[in-house]
Amino acid sequence: MSFYNVPRRSALLVMALALAVPNLGAAQGDPKMGGTLKISHSTRIATLNVLSLSGPAEYPVIDMAYSGLTRIGPDSQPMPDLAESWEGSADATEFTFHLREGVTFHDGTPATASDVVATFEAILDPDIPASAASVLNMIDTVEAVDDLTVKFSLKTPFADFPTSTAHANARIMSEEALAGDHAMLDTVVNGTGPFKMESYDSARITRLVRNDDYFIEGKPYLDAVEMHLFPDLAAETTNFLSGDIDVMLLVQQADYERISGAPGVNALRVPSGRYVNVVMRFDQAPFDDLRVREALAYAIDRQLLVDLVLEGLGRPAHDNILSPEFKFRIDTPEKSYDPERAKALLAEAGHPDGLKLDLVASNRPAIRAQVAIAIKQMALPAGFDINVETMPHDTYLANVWRKGGFYMAYWGMQPTEDATFNLLLTSNASYEDTGWMNDEFDALVQAGRSTTIESERADAYTKAQELMLAELPYIIAFYEDVLTASKEHVQGYTLNPINRYFYLESVWLDE
Amino acid sequence: MTGLGLLLLVMGAATLGPLLAPYDPQAFHPATRLQGPSAAHWLGTDQFGRDLLSRLLNGAPSTVYFGLGATLLGVGAGSMIGVIAGTAGGWLDSVIMRILDGLLAVPELLFTLLIVTFLGGGMGQAMLAVAIAFTPGMARIARSSVLSIRTREYVLAAVARGERAHYIVLREVLPNAVGPIIVEATIRVAFAIMIGATLGFLGLGAQPPSTEWGLMVAEARQFMFRNAWTVAVPGVAIAMAAMGFNLFGDALRDSLDPRRSR
Repeated sequence: MSFYNVPRRSALLVMALALAVPNLGAAQGDPKMGGTLKISHSTRIATLNVLSLSGPAEYPVIDMAYSGLTRIGPDSQPMPDLAESWEGSADATEFTFHLREGVTFHDGTPATASDVVATFEAILDPDIPASAASVLNMIDTVEAVDDLTVKFSLKTPFADFPTSTAHANARIMSEEALAGDHAMLDTVVNGTGPFKMESYDSARITRLVRNDDYFIEGKPYLDAVEMHLFPDLAAETTNFLSGDIDVMLLVQQADYERISGAPGVNALRVPSGRYVNVVMRFDQAPFDDLRVREALAYAIDRQLLVDLVLEGLGRPAHDNILSPEFKFRIDTPEKSYDPERAKALLAEAGHPDGLKLDLVASNRPAIRAQVAIAIKQMALPAGFDINVETMPHDTYLANVWRKGGFYMAYWGMQPTEDATFNLLLTSNASYEDTGWMNDEFDALVQAGRSTTIESERADAYTKAQELMLAELPYIIAFYEDVLTASKEHVQGYTLNPINRYFYLESVWLDE
Repeated sequence: MTGLGLLLLVMGAATLGPLLAPYDPQAFHPATRLQGPSAAHWLGTDQFGRDLLSRLLNGAPSTVYFGLGATLLGVGAGSMIGVIAGTAGGWLDSVIMRILDGLLAVPELLFTLLIVTFLGGGMGQAMLAVAIAFTPGMARIARSSVLSIRTREYVLAAVARGERAHYIVLREVLPNAVGPIIVEATIRVAFAIMIGATLGFLGLGAQPPSTEWGLMVAEARQFMFRNAWTVAVPGVAIAMAAMGFNLFGDALRDSLDPRRSR
């Protein structure tokens, strides 16, 4: 075991203790026990399969029902969850996690190292669809040293490993459940989280009740949490403002002003790295020419886009996939709206009379088409004649996503630089869709993950970002804030910019 | 008269609308977004500051011609089936009508949604879907008019003269059966416009950046509390178009029905 004296994220290599859990939220007075928290959401909870789910309303449910080995705290740093402490070897290729003693799954069976091993083996199994696989593919072996100790050996050094194990889709499941029929995972929940599943109706209400055996003494405060589905956004807002809903999980930009101004409501706005990006494939004309990509980048008024589409609830971005929340993010040069320059670039690229293009936008969520339409208008003076083609989301996924040459994508924030790059931009990224396939970039990302020396990591990630900004694989015009709202009597409710961790065990009702 | 007036207004907008629009319907005016009526923007502006009047006028053709097109297709197909069934009689009539009765059991909007889901979204698909949904009802009406005419003296006379079947159908039966069909068709245009707008609203018909009225309502809905005009303008337009065709159809029926005293 060795300790580094390195600041911030690398400090995760240092042993962290359960006692160090930050006091979440600005609670007034002592927490009161009891009560039912009613949360409204507008997207279906279609599955409860931790390995593969991705719905915005599915994440809070598994965050309540399951525990990860580690978890991302409101400060975006990994914090203890099922593991109460961990340590890494000097070269960051071996990590040992110490589990809490006496933790049981909701069905009463003890949660031990073998469950952790089974979970990570399932994630790494190429035959099992698992969202966390690409973030954890550096794992070579995972073994149970004893009942409460798990040891990971990594193929390459990876300093952010305890952040990776906190992946929202890497919650610890029981060995028994994983050995059984995986179709059961869609509906049956057996976790170690603060709340137990009581009833699950994907079309209406999902209700979880207090887990009396939760491993943090005294928590959760609530007796139950109910997730109410409102497929209609207007109905959801009305119900939140006038009904007995306590928390509105996601607030639309258009409604934010009205909701935040309503009496008895706390609206919460968290700057996040969520973005809409324009995909321009490197292996298809005309975007195989850097000048054409650059021309489009200068044909977009980013601040105006924030004002029109996000109602000002976001920040203009200048094509850096990393938002200012990321530690190794570099200062990104601002691109001002300059149709003349764009026109010149187009002419230089051999399109003096402009370009006629079809831009595909899926119809869900509406923000994709809104940004596409705004880009169409803004790019008009630059010589881009863009025809926006909207289509049903399923058609888009089947025919355009990762195939089409020019379309709108929409992504949430990832926990680390490495996870962000390996989601989309490296040659073997999980959802690689640019055709960029740049060896130098791959090597830089690889270099960033395989050292624990702060300055070397900063150097690698700086170069990677500079290369990305020079080659312009995506146009990213803004970072969208995450918006949520709660009633005044709800205490301790907070969000993390990644919007995957909800800390509902710390929420209580002051009624 | 009200019906005719509304109809003329709507048809005028559909024919000349895009030419009369004061602004480019897609142009942004960020400085004046989500505003109510003003001298510059008579009906106000939407989320992007686009002029609502221009968008409304621009969307008139796709909205109104959608209704007309879908109805024409549906009426054409329906009448043909109805006339064939009515004239042929016997087992063919029974088979056709039982199938259509089955289809009639499904409510029109639901039927349309079903077909659109099958065909995929988009204006053309939606129009075809409405036409298909209208076919069984139209066939029934056409058949019943044919049945009441088939035994009239002039038809029997034509049969007695030894005229050929297609002559009897086209020259004797159809011209006399056409009244109820036209009345029904006119009223159905109103429904087609409403179904089209509904599909646009649900995201199954017209797609952005189209200015189809149902889609305009859908896009504006989230800004309803900020600027009610964004929803009211296309909403009222849809109502006016539907009402125009409906009232005109009613008036047409009254004037074509000899049994109704005026």
